[in-house]
Amino acid sequence: MNGLITEIQRGSLHDGPGIRTVVFMKGCNLRCAWCHNPETIFPGEEILFSPEKCIGCGQCAKGCFSGAKVRSGKTVSVEEVLSVIIEDRPYYGPEGGVTVSGGEPAMQADFVCELLSRCRENGIGTAVETNLSFPSETVTRICSLCDLVMCDLKTMDSDLHRRYTGAGNERILENMKKVGSLGIPMLVRTPVIRDVNDAESEIDSIAAFLAEIPSLKCYELLTYHPLGLSKPASEHFKPQAFEKPTREQMKKLAAIAASHHIPVRIDNVVFQEVSK
Amino acid sequence: MKQLSYQDRIALLREKKIQHTLEKTKQNGYMDGDDYGTVPLPEGYHFETPYNPGEDFLVGPMGNARAFAAFVKNHPLYIDPLEILAGRWADMLPEYRHTKRAYQAYHPYDELKAGQEFYNINAGIEADAHCACDYRIGLALGFGGILEKIRHYRDMHGPEKKEFYDAEELTVLSMQEFIRRHIELAEELLEKETAPELRRTLAMMVETNKKVISEKPETFLEACQWVAWFNTLSRMYDRDGAGFGLDVLLYPYYKADLEAGRITKEDAFFIMANLLLNETHYYQLSGPDTEGRDQTNPLSYMILDAAHALNISANLTVRVHDNIDPEFMKKAVWCLFNDRNGWPRFSGDRGLMNYMKNDGIELADARSRIAVGCNWMAIPGLEYPLNDCVKINVARVFEVAMQEMEQSGSFSTEELFERLSAHLDRAIDITAKGINHHLDYQHEIMPELVMNLMMKDTIEKGEDISVCAKYLTMGVDGVGLGTVADSFAAIEQRIEKEHLLSWEELFEALRTDFAGPAGERIRLMLKSSERYCQGNSLGDKWAQRISAMFAKKVHEYPMPGRRQLVPGWFSWSSTIAFGRAVGATPDGRHARTPVTHGANPNPGFRKDGAATAMATGIARIQTAYGNTCPLQLEMDPKISADEGGLENVERLLRTHIDMGGTLININILDRDKLMAAHKNPMLYPDLVVRVTGFTAYFATLSPEFRQLVVDRFIDGF
Repeated sequence: MNGLITEIQRGSLHDGPGIRTVVFMKGCNLRCAWCHNPETIFPGEEILFSPEKCIGCGQCAKGCFSGAKVRSGKTVSVEEVLSVIIEDRPYYGPEGGVTVSGGEPAMQADFVCELLSRCRENGIGTAVETNLSFPSETVTRICSLCDLVMCDLKTMDSDLHRRYTGAGNERILENMKKVGSLGIPMLVRTPVIRDVNDAESEIDSIAAFLAEIPSLKCYELLTYHPLGLSKPASEHFKPQAFEKPTREQMKKLAAIAASHHIPVRIDNVVFQEVSK
Repeated sequence: MKQLSYQDRIALLREKKIQHTLEKTKQNGYMDGDDYGTVPLPEGYHFETPYNPGEDFLVGPMGNARAFAAFVKNHPLYIDPLEILAGRWADMLPEYRHTKRAYQAYHPYDELKAGQEFYNINAGIEADAHCACDYRIGLALGFGGILEKIRHYRDMHGPEKKEFYDAEELTVLSMQEFIRRHIELAEELLEKETAPELRRTLAMMVETNKKVISEKPETFLEACQWVAWFNTLSRMYDRDGAGFGLDVLLYPYYKADLEAGRITKEDAFFIMANLLLNETHYYQLSGPDTEGRDQTNPLSYMILDAAHALNISANLTVRVHDNIDPEFMKKAVWCLFNDRNGWPRFSGDRGLMNYMKNDGIELADARSRIAVGCNWMAIPGLEYPLNDCVKINVARVFEVAMQEMEQSGSFSTEELFERLSAHLDRAIDITAKGINHHLDYQHEIMPELVMNLMMKDTIEKGEDISVCAKYLTMGVDGVGLGTVADSFAAIEQRIEKEHLLSWEELFEALRTDFAGPAGERIRLMLKSSERYCQGNSLGDKWAQRISAMFAKKVHEYPMPGRRQLVPGWFSWSSTIAFGRAVGATPDGRHARTPVTHGANPNPGFRKDGAATAMATGIARIQTAYGNTCPLQLEMDPKISADEGGLENVERLLRTHIDMGGTLININILDRDKLMAAHKNPMLYPDLVVRVTGFTAYFATLSPEFRQLVVDRFIDGF
């Protein structure tokens, strides 16, 4: 079975516990205005542009090697991906493993399920980063193959969610409850965007919702960063620029979240440890 | 007035060290080398070398011994009342020795020079030190005992050995004279000193030195002072920086003192911190004994604590083996993570034990072959390896093969590999002849008068260690593995597989150093091909093939007698100099720019810069005869130690070592600080980095050296 990926990142420390190999699937159903992986949005091969890298050789048609035009998207088999993953297996230890990210893995659910199953057969820990904005059956099928589910809850306000991501949040909330009820550990994140979801009441509502999720492992606040703007441009999607929240604001929001007696982190650093 | 605690004194000594660094940089310019623990030279210092009439170089046992005596007599003294150990060095005799000229006058090797230059070989002829003393010999005898031993064996041997023994005797007498002058200075300082806590340690310093000037050391303080003297004077003679298993050897003194109540743990801690400040000798910590049992002891921990408190440049290596105390391993990684000074580094027992694959090596000796140099190991007292001195620029050998193939008109990667193989044969032959020349004559030109004092059979037989060592396992390092492997990979991919480029276009691009937009396009095409350390890439395939060929050729080269060659991959930090000898290469490297470092891949080898891919790639190219192919790693894990950073880094190190990795030189750095210091180094005079096998203050490095560290940096894990 084949899937479309943008890249496989080896030795990551930031996409789940331990040392991990991250498979970035290509194609996403959401259009988050602050997306930091805009190259993973379009569900097909495409050319990304960085005009500042052009060396003016005039041989674009024969292939560009300067980085001005970069092909994004590669069709790969499960076996091919697995062969890369196995290279990193000695480093995983009990904590690490594979994270399937994106893009949105659920857009290529069959491929992702096959890959996760093969990882499990090989004794490799599995995790997924998903937006959960899919039918419950699809989400359950993928998440049931994972030791950890990482997902975003950007806002509790469905209209606001639709305005900044292109879809409401009803399905996401339902799926969070569903995954929680299955007992699959969940790490829920909120990318904090100035003037979008940085209100104290917003984080308070999210944290109150998460406090009811039985398998919540941690709630993490991520400071917005404009990485997506510095990446080669896709003609299918351009992220918008936002202001970064201040460190103080992040701490304040974390304290509000922590008041709901859930474990809280800011940017991968523990703010409050609570065992539920 | 409040008395200074030991911690206060360590903090003050650290500040003074930073001042010394700034002064030394002002005095000498960029140092581009080990910090050495030297102190600045006083104004007006001058040494008039006592050369033989009509000569401008030192030669022979007595020539070197007389010069050493004069040098030591002239060398400035150094005692800081804040310290408990006396002595420090500022200048070294090798600056005045001119061994190259001595060889030219007495044992020229002009017939080898053309080949050495052609293939850009560092032959190692006239190289000094680069073996390891057995400190047990010196500690058991003391300077007085060593003198007696020299005189005893001089009497036993005939007149033909007299010069050797006379030279050794004069060497020891000069060392004792240096100590005697320091005792006088310490007494003067004691007389003037008013602070009771400093008076106490100055008095201990006087008493200790009066003992160790001739008697064997018996307490922890005496042993440390004795080691400090030997290290200082050995550096002054020939820049020797090989230490020993610091925790293993000194533990009995520490334990006995504690049990007898002669010393407190606080005293011992301060003495150890002082020893680490005194000199940056290369010490190993932990490691297996001859039976494979772990040797970690309470002193191992205390040494890390003392180095942590001092928080300066240090050359400490932890030998990671199957039975290492896991808590000690954790602590070592914590120091690396927390202090961010590039120490300790980690050597891999499993890979290093491949030394057994050389001829006639005994298991117990292989186990005791410890980390005592920049990238290298040696058996204390028994081995004369000249490690890190002999380098073949394989990137240059590749260039020769490439140019020859162009002339032949028959082009393929297999053809190129065959030609590389043939030229490597010639390069290794020239290298081996150089090593043999050195081994034949070094004892006549420049005997290791100081190191001989603590080697096995030297004094007994009246022979220099370069002659009588039990093991003459001579290290031969290849340079530029990544450059060559990526060149092969780029050619195979772009010319042979994808047909995007013709051989003629490649040759033209190399000749013009990728001139013009078309040339630049070719360069970028080559540069973006499958690289070494990407993971099962063409670059990885070629690196493994090239390394296996190099290792086999070096190992199997027939050397006379007990001599044998041991392969490794290490460039030291000479990637700039080696690069200057090589034109543009098919990996997309511009002419005269640095070649790849040690066993490392080209910078930018992966978009994600994955440390795991690099660790695996380097583990797979190990030459596997016990010399190192180090993994040099600079990274900012961007994760705190508490958040799993510590465990993840430890797992990375352990896995590389389990895979057969021999040495990990690692910098855990703050990326932003490194980049800011690169722009303005003097704003960060305390920033210590591991340049290669050695650590140094970043501010003392030239912009080119700083660039090497910055280029190697992996953003993220």
